[in-house]
Parts: sequence; C-alpha cells; structure tokens
Amino acid sequence: MLKVTGAALIAGLAMATQAMAADAPAEIKIGTLYASSGRFASISMPVYSALKLWANQKNADGGVYVKAFDKKIPVKLVAYDDQSNTATASTLYNQLVTQDKVDLLVADSGSVLTAPAATIARDHKMFLFDQTGTGASFFSKDNPYIALMSDPVSTIWPKPVADFVSHDGPELGIKKIAILYSTNEFTGTQANAFRKFVKDSGAPIEIVYDQGVPTETTNYTVIINNINNTQPDAVFHFGYAPNDIAFLRNVQDVGIKFKMLFCIYPGLETELLEKNVGIKGLEHVFTYVPPSELDYKVNFGMNMKEYKAAWDKAYPEGKIEFGFNAVAGYTTGLIIEKTLSVASSLDQLELRRANFSLSGELKTLDGTFALDEMGGQIGELTPLGQLELDDKNPEKLKFISIYPHETATGKPVYPRP
Amino acid sequence: MLIYALVAGVLFGLYFSLVGIGLNLVFGVMRIVNLAHGDFLMLGAFVAFGVVTLAGIDPLFAVPLAFVIFVLVGLLLYRVLVPRLQGSVNPEMLSIILFFGLSQVIEAITTIFAGTSERSIQSRLLGTVFSTINVKFFGGKPGGAGPISILGQGFPAPWVIAAVTSLIAIAFVYVYLYRTRLGTLTRAVMSRRDEALATGIDVDRVSAAAFGIGLGLAAIAGVFAPFMFGSVTPAFGADATVTSFAIVVLGSLGNPLGTALGGVVYGVCYMLVQTYLSSWADLLPYVLLIFILLLRPSGLLGRRVRVA
Repeated sequence: MLKVTGAALIAGLAMATQAMAADAPAEIKIGTLYASSGRFASISMPVYSALKLWANQKNADGGVYVKAFDKKIPVKLVAYDDQSNTATASTLYNQLVTQDKVDLLVADSGSVLTAPAATIARDHKMFLFDQTGTGASFFSKDNPYIALMSDPVSTIWPKPVADFVSHDGPELGIKKIAILYSTNEFTGTQANAFRKFVKDSGAPIEIVYDQGVPTETTNYTVIINNINNTQPDAVFHFGYAPNDIAFLRNVQDVGIKFKMLFCIYPGLETELLEKNVGIKGLEHVFTYVPPSELDYKVNFGMNMKEYKAAWDKAYPEGKIEFGFNAVAGYTTGLIIEKTLSVASSLDQLELRRANFSLSGELKTLDGTFALDEMGGQIGELTPLGQLELDDKNPEKLKFISIYPHETATGKPVYPRP
Repeated sequence: MLIYALVAGVLFGLYFSLVGIGLNLVFGVMRIVNLAHGDFLMLGAFVAFGVVTLAGIDPLFAVPLAFVIFVLVGLLLYRVLVPRLQGSVNPEMLSIILFFGLSQVIEAITTIFAGTSERSIQSRLLGTVFSTINVKFFGGKPGGAGPISILGQGFPAPWVIAAVTSLIAIAFVYVYLYRTRLGTLTRAVMSRRDEALATGIDVDRVSAAAFGIGLGLAAIAGVFAPFMFGSVTPAFGADATVTSFAIVVLGSLGNPLGTALGGVVYGVCYMLVQTYLSSWADLLPYVLLIFILLLRPSGLLGRRVRVA
C-alpha cells in the first residue's frame, strides 16, 4: 500500500513538474521604452543601456530564475524609441501592453516619460516597474500598479537639502534663499517639497525668489540677473541635466558668484556636467551625492566597482555617460530579477506582492530598496554634498558629503570664494 | 531688470536674426520651406566641436569653415533635390515633406556617430584669438575675457561676439542682395520667379547660390549654438527650426532683411517674458506667430511678397 502511494506521489510530482515546464514561456518579455533623441535622451539612454547590460549578462548565464516555473528563463527586452515625446510614448506603452503582451512593463527614464506609463499601466492593471519617475502624483493609495525602483520619490528626495538649510543655514548666514525650477513633474515636485520642508521647519529663512521656467529653457542669463538682484544667500536650481548645463554655464558667463548654489545633476550625471560646464563651473556647487561615491554594501548583484568595470567593457566607446542613471537601470534589472525569483506567478498583483516583499531586504549598489505603502522609493536617499577640486589631482572633482552629519565627510565651503 | 532684459533681448535677438535669415533667403528665392534648417544649424555646432577638439583653436575659426562647407553642401543638395521638387505640381507642400525627411536622416546619422548626450564648448575658448592679439600686440594681460559690460551690466562675452557676427552676416546678406549682380538677380527671382525665368535669368544658378548661402548662414549660427543654448544634441534641430520659422514670419516671409527685425523683436519679447512671466516664455514663438498672422500677415516689414 505504502509503495503504491509512494509511486503515485512520485508520478504525480513528475507530471506536475512536466506540466509546469511545459507551461513555462520560452522567454520573459520585458517591455520598455527609451529616448534615443530629444530632451530626455541623456537620462534615458544610460538607464536603457544599463537594463540591456543586465539582460545580456543574465541571458549569458541562461536567464533569470523564475519561481513561478521553478527554472531559469531567458529575458527578452522589447524596447521602442519614444524620442522623448510623451504622445509617442503613450502609443508605444499601449503597444507593449496590448500588441506585444509583455510580461513585465518598465517605464522610460524620468517623470515626464513615466507619466503616460503610469496611467496606461493602471488602466490595463499591469504592475509598472517605474525606474526613475519620481513624481509624487504617480503614487497613491488607490493605485497598486506601480513601484519606484531606483530613485527616492521626489517628495522626500530634497529633504537632506532642506534640512541642511533649515538646521545649519542660519548659523552659516543663510537667511534669504532663491528657488528656480523647471515646471515638470520631477523638478516641480522637488521644488515644492523643498519649499514645504523649509517653511515647515520654522527656520528664519526667507524665500526671496521663487519662479518656475519651462523645462525647455536653455538660456538663464536674464533670470540669473533677476535672482542676483534679490541678493540671496543661497540659490537652489531644480532642473534636468540640460537645464543645469545651461544654468551653470550662464552663471559662469555673467560672472556672478552666488554664495551657495545647489543643482541636481552635477551629482547625478557628473561626467556629463564636467564635459559641458567644466570643472571650474562645478567647483563649490552643492548637489546630491551619488551612490557611486557612497559604495553601498550589496547583498545582491554587482557592487559599484564591478559594475563600473562591466559598464566600461560593454560600452567602451564612451558615448553614454556613466552616472546615476546608469546605476538606476542596472538596479531596476536586479529588482526585476529578485521579484521574479520570489513571485509565485506572473500575475500582476502577485508581482506587486513579490516586489513589495523585497522592501527593506534588498541591498544593491544603489542602496537599500525600500518602498512606502504607495510604492514610492524611500530607501535610496542621497545625502547633500559639495563638489571640490581633488587635492591630489586638481584636474578632477571630488564629492564632500555635507549633510546629514552622520555621513558627512567634510564641512561646507560657504560662502563660495 | 528692465534695462538688462532689453539689452539681453537685443543681443539674443541679433543672434536669432542669424538663426532665421538663411531660412528666409531660401524661402524667398525658391518658395520652399526647409524644415531641415535647424539640423544644418546643429551640424554647424558640430563643425565648431571639431575645430576645438581636433585643432584645439578658437571656435571662431569654425565660422568661415562652416560657411564654406555648407555653401558647398547646399550647392550639392540643390542639384540633387530641388529641381525635381520645383518640377512638381505643389513644390511648397512637397518641400515640407522632403525636408522633414532630410531632417530626420541628418538627426539619425549624427546620433549614430556622436551619441545622444549634450555637447558643449567652454565659453572661455570663444574669442581667444582676440585676447592673444591683445596680449601680443597691445600688451594686454592673458586670461579669459569674462563678461562684457554694457550700460553698467555684465553680459556673457559669447553673446556679444555672436551678436557682432550676426550683424556682419546680415550686412553680408544686404551687400549680396543690393550690391552684387547675383544679388540683383536673386531679388528679381524673389519678386517674380516666372517673370525672371521669362527674361532669361538663370533661375537655377540664382536659386542654387541662395540655397548654399542659406545653409552656410545656418551653419554659422550653429557655431554659436553651444554658447547661446548651453549645449547641443543631434535632436536640437527641430526646436531651432520652429523658432526660426516664427522669426521669419514675424519679420516677413520672403524678405531676408525683415528677419533681422523679426529676430530682435523676438529676442526682446523673449527676455521680457522671461523676466516678468518666466513660466510662459516657451509659448512666445507660437503666440507671436498667431498675433502676427492675425494682425499683419505680411510680417513687420512685409510687402506683398508672400504668396504662401
């Protein structure tokens, strides 16, 4: 009797395994978009290239482990070029979902090109792996179909900057501040959050200039003059990489030296900014300290040094800069991989459950992956830093971490000499 | 603030005159809309990148180089594209499609070779030839020029250099149109193409020259683009074409010298909007286009030259 039961069990298990293997797809289709041209190409291509690097690496190893089928399955990136155009992006996201029937949907880089994906994913009940779209409006309690993989959500991202101004600012002599931002979801939200943090702190800080400009702005000379007329002790510019390039170049060109100048992208895309603004234009600029400078301990995937070596090997021609976004794309790949290894099926809500189960547990080269209940990333916080000339090599810049104090590696240079 | 905005507007506007004048010259002579105009501007910027990267010299040397290269490119392109276009039933409409395609091809090829990232040239490199002359012959001090003071306010040196170059280019177009035989023939073709053809003018030769010069002027404007717009990417052309078109219509479609006025009006309006209503600044080209088409369809300096 026992033998019969044992044989039946073994036969049943073998049949179930066979059935599972037969149901397993030949590949896991990951649908995404990239911008090979237009305003967001410089933040999109590094993310996409990094995701490709991850996919190629995994496929060379036989694919990713998918718990739902208990086997390794190759991944296939189904990717289209949205040319930085939101209308094109909408059409293509729809195509990925309805025509290509991808298993996983991954947004393009940045909030502007993530916005159409967030809506389409929700409409089609697909879980969106949001790579770097940090806009606050994407995340709400009634939308379970999104989570932010690689950057802090914009509502908390500028907290270290605001805390520095509120706590250390008055002592340093910062009493009047100017805020300039590009009017889009990403930088607009950062500016709003920063303003709110500063006001709520009750610190004796007066906002003497607070203006938004179109994201397409490429010339800031008049605006810089207007800001200078308000005699601020610190200027905070929230813009995309091309905005920061134009802004910092114009600051140099008109010969105005603000006592403190904060911009987002000198920290996020340092290589790109160095090429375009020059080392002199970036010296003493305050910015976010990128993960590449913090060297987080990882429990999954390559560490920063290994990843940089892999990137240089994969993209030796140097046409795509290695920076924050290149790290973000690879981080997305790692999170997808880990999610698939935990999810018991490819059902979209199961993918969400699996993804959220990694919160606080997964440590990648981008820091600790941690989500709030709405899917906003709250783990990969970036400290405030300042760019200074490297003592050993004055032709290079180095990051000095300024705030929070517990991670600080130096004191701020204020006012700018 | 007002004076700063006005002076900045004039400098910026003079540069925009240079951006648009080539487009208008081509339209005035051939009645075709060159939607790849901005892409030739972008290519001019890449000539400047080449001059700085490969030769390590002042990007100002890229001005004559870009002009010569793109005049030749223009002559070649004209021979390949334009006669067939002119022979079609509706050359104006077909030119829009043809040059849109050309624009896409130029952008794609440039992206393949140069990548998608922003590129720029350090502002201190522009005009180093002047500081070298100053040091060598007038005992000046070495170092970058820094901002230039106008009415007691500091303006970026590249803006002033770009504005002066634009004035020279506009003067060149004026001399070409009003002081040379080819220019007289060009004006004849601009005025009435069919009559010019009937009187025995070699319309093809005149048009080819105008097309070449138009592209050459766009390329010169492109040399200054990295300084005026912070950086340039292969996708830069589309925006530049839209702005050029607004300036051309503002000045007067078909009247190249009207573009000079259109550029300055655009520049001043842009700087004033940036000063007082900064969030709305990017709407300006379209608002100006609508206003001018509603109030004065022939443009600020327009006569009855526009047939489109």
